[in-house]
Amino acid sequence: MNHKRISAVSAAALLLTVSACGGDSGGSGGAYPSEDMDWTIAFGPGGGNDIMARTMVDILQRNDLYPENIRVENRDGGSGATGWGYLLNQSGEGYGISTTSGSFITTPLQADTGWQPTDFTPVGLLAADNALLIADGGADFQTYEEWVDYATEKGTVVVGGIGTVNVDYIIQQMVADAEGYEIDYVPYNEEGQMQTSLLSGAIDTMISNPGSIMGQVEAGQVTPLLFTGPERLEALPDVPTGEENGITDIPSMPRGLILPPDAPQEAQDWWVETMQEVVETPEWQAYLDENFLLEDERWGEDFTAYLDDTQSAFEEQLTELGAL
Amino acid sequence: MDTFDNLANGIVAVVTPMNLLLLLAGVMLGMVVGVMPGLGPSAGLAILLPLTFSLDPTGAIVMLAAVYYGAMYGGTITSVLINTPGESATVASTFDGYPLAKQGRAGPALVMAAVGSFVAGTIGAVLISIASPATAKLAATFGPPELFLVVVLGLLTLIVIIGGNRLLGTLSALMGFAIATVGIDIGTGQQRYTFGSVELINGIDFIPVAIGLFGVGEILHTLWRGGHLEKLAYFNVSARSRDFWPTRQDYRESVGPITRGSFLGFFVGATPGAGATVASLMSYNLEKSVSKTPEKFGKGAMAGLTGPEAANNAASSGAMVPLLTLGIPGSAATAVLIGGFMMWGLQPGPLLMTQNPEFAWGLIASMFLGNIMLLLVNVFCIPAFASIARVPFRVLGPAIIVICVLGTFTVNGSIIEVAIMLACGVLGFFMRRFGLSPAALVIALVLGPMAEESMRQTMIISGGSFGIFLDRGTSRVLLLLMVLLLVLPLVMVLIKRAAARSVQRYGAMRRRSARGADAADRSDDLTTDGADAGAGDADVDRDRDNEPERVDSQ
Repeated sequence: MNHKRISAVSAAALLLTVSACGGDSGGSGGAYPSEDMDWTIAFGPGGGNDIMARTMVDILQRNDLYPENIRVENRDGGSGATGWGYLLNQSGEGYGISTTSGSFITTPLQADTGWQPTDFTPVGLLAADNALLIADGGADFQTYEEWVDYATEKGTVVVGGIGTVNVDYIIQQMVADAEGYEIDYVPYNEEGQMQTSLLSGAIDTMISNPGSIMGQVEAGQVTPLLFTGPERLEALPDVPTGEENGITDIPSMPRGLILPPDAPQEAQDWWVETMQEVVETPEWQAYLDENFLLEDERWGEDFTAYLDDTQSAFEEQLTELGAL
Repeated sequence: MDTFDNLANGIVAVVTPMNLLLLLAGVMLGMVVGVMPGLGPSAGLAILLPLTFSLDPTGAIVMLAAVYYGAMYGGTITSVLINTPGESATVASTFDGYPLAKQGRAGPALVMAAVGSFVAGTIGAVLISIASPATAKLAATFGPPELFLVVVLGLLTLIVIIGGNRLLGTLSALMGFAIATVGIDIGTGQQRYTFGSVELINGIDFIPVAIGLFGVGEILHTLWRGGHLEKLAYFNVSARSRDFWPTRQDYRESVGPITRGSFLGFFVGATPGAGATVASLMSYNLEKSVSKTPEKFGKGAMAGLTGPEAANNAASSGAMVPLLTLGIPGSAATAVLIGGFMMWGLQPGPLLMTQNPEFAWGLIASMFLGNIMLLLVNVFCIPAFASIARVPFRVLGPAIIVICVLGTFTVNGSIIEVAIMLACGVLGFFMRRFGLSPAALVIALVLGPMAEESMRQTMIISGGSFGIFLDRGTSRVLLLLMVLLLVLPLVMVLIKRAAARSVQRYGAMRRRSARGADAADRSDDLTTDGADAGAGDADVDRDRDNEPERVDSQ
């Protein structure tokens, strides 16, 4: 008897599943989204872009926002050129998607990628990733004022950042210009090497993202001097912003979402609507807090305009600095 | 012994049936990934990292540590059996590992490599427990000048590899440096030799080049020499026969190299940026320098395999020191791990060890247990792997080429890299044919960009003055080491000659004083032994000419 009941229940469950599936595909026949999503991460696992993308996918799946499967794949190479190039090849389709980062703007400036940031169909900018100016915890200067005094007295200081055609270089140069000292800029390829370089006393300050350096800040190993965002970080209430010191329009890393070029209107609409739901979830807020990202939402064409502005600003500043 | 309590607690925390299962699965998965040419520990971690998100942090780290070691050892298997390093850290293992396999000693080579890795991993785990604070202090003194000097220490291996064959060896290394210049120039952000191709922006990766030069190049060369027609009688060794397992002499010869390699590897591994590749190359260099029979290196010296194997394994323990104490990733693999930490909701940084002690010590404990698991798994698996050597070449050769193509493609999914790999296969064939050294090319390719980058950074920092190397304490120590490493082989030769002379003199004295024919015989023996050793050392330079690739090329 027991046996019978179990089979009855499972038969019912099976029937229910089948009918649910049937109803699902019947209801969405033709309407977006009815296929699996091919989600490209243009960088390797473990990086900032990867973490953001996987957080989003996790939220989409947990809240059943995307009815079909989402396949996530890291397609890294060529500073993002490979992954976004892959998305470019899906022109006109609505089932490819990718997250953006600083390289989305700088890589096309540097190389002939065959695409520009504005070519892609924008979903939206979701957050801005700002930076900290960091000094060794044992250095003679432990506040922004002390740093400026030290640097101006010395005349020329040695500072570091990731890459040359990159926002780090722009920030270091902007601060130096504003405060009237000269810099020798040392470009690094890896965060780890830059951090030990700072601790070893080889460079005076470096640029880091709050998410990757907060552990060392909390341990007192390094000291943040300046935050490039529009307002002070909650976690670091004593660290002044660039604007407070008269340095305006410091660029930040755009953390956004894009579809292939010329994606169908309904796909774009669907994603804008859905992402507006995603950014309201507590999981997304927790992600922003944990990674010290600032909420900065610009949807659709506003995002494209923002990308365009940022890229011209980058190009102008980097040309001025002789990096391009 | 607080730290040992911590380690013991860590081990206890990790030893649950579930974790042991994860450990076993991780080691097996890692080995499968590592055996694919081109896929080493960092690629293995990257591929399997997403799998661990559903696990709790301790379970995840247990599995990843196992994957890490499994992949590392998988790379050794391919280095020894088919002369194809899975990643740069196992390049040094091909120098003597492959000749050993060619002599039909693949079994002993693989077992000894596993034993070396196990011992090094154990020493590494103990060193993390007791020497972390001191090592972290050392690591924090490493800026670009120090990194440059460490890379140069690794480049010194080129001298050993090139040996007496100066012109062709130097040419090979220069080819490696030339390939290394492709990509974005770190100093100015300009592209070099990319010809507008997006695929070349990040330069030519080590992996397709190494797979092509070593793996495919070797196949082509064997074909050319008619290897497919030969009967591989000497490979016909079964796992049940005694020849399959290392002899007592293998163990005796390996004690020194493994111990030295473990300590060297740990400390070099702890320096950010240099890591396992430099450690294994330095160990090879060191072992050849201190060996009594340096002429055997490159022709199947057990010490030339076990030293670097121990060093690269200890280096992966060493790399955990900056990760756990400073929150700084010291290698590509640990950079992937840091990403994992953040996804599990852990804040990497100096406070990780105090805020999440069970996690940090769990990591160290699982590295230790991963080593034990690896040794156990290998005792059962090596016979299976080594039996590859018994497959006839006409079957094995094409299969290896397919695996090489597949492995190269899997890393980045790039067809261009497959093309580079195949082109390097042809290059590798001609390099063997004309006596150039693929190993020198690969070392130059891996270390060249690191040397250039750190040198240019150093020069920006110092404003163009070389004095910076003498101003900084750690730099001075490294310079001293470099001088020592250069002088050591010469000194050893002198010491041995002196020893041989004194033995001779002693023998002569004995001859003069001894009356009995018995005693005279014994002293004669001594004399010839001593003279032989001396002559062997003097011949080092000439013997280095005979690289394994060329021994059988004609």
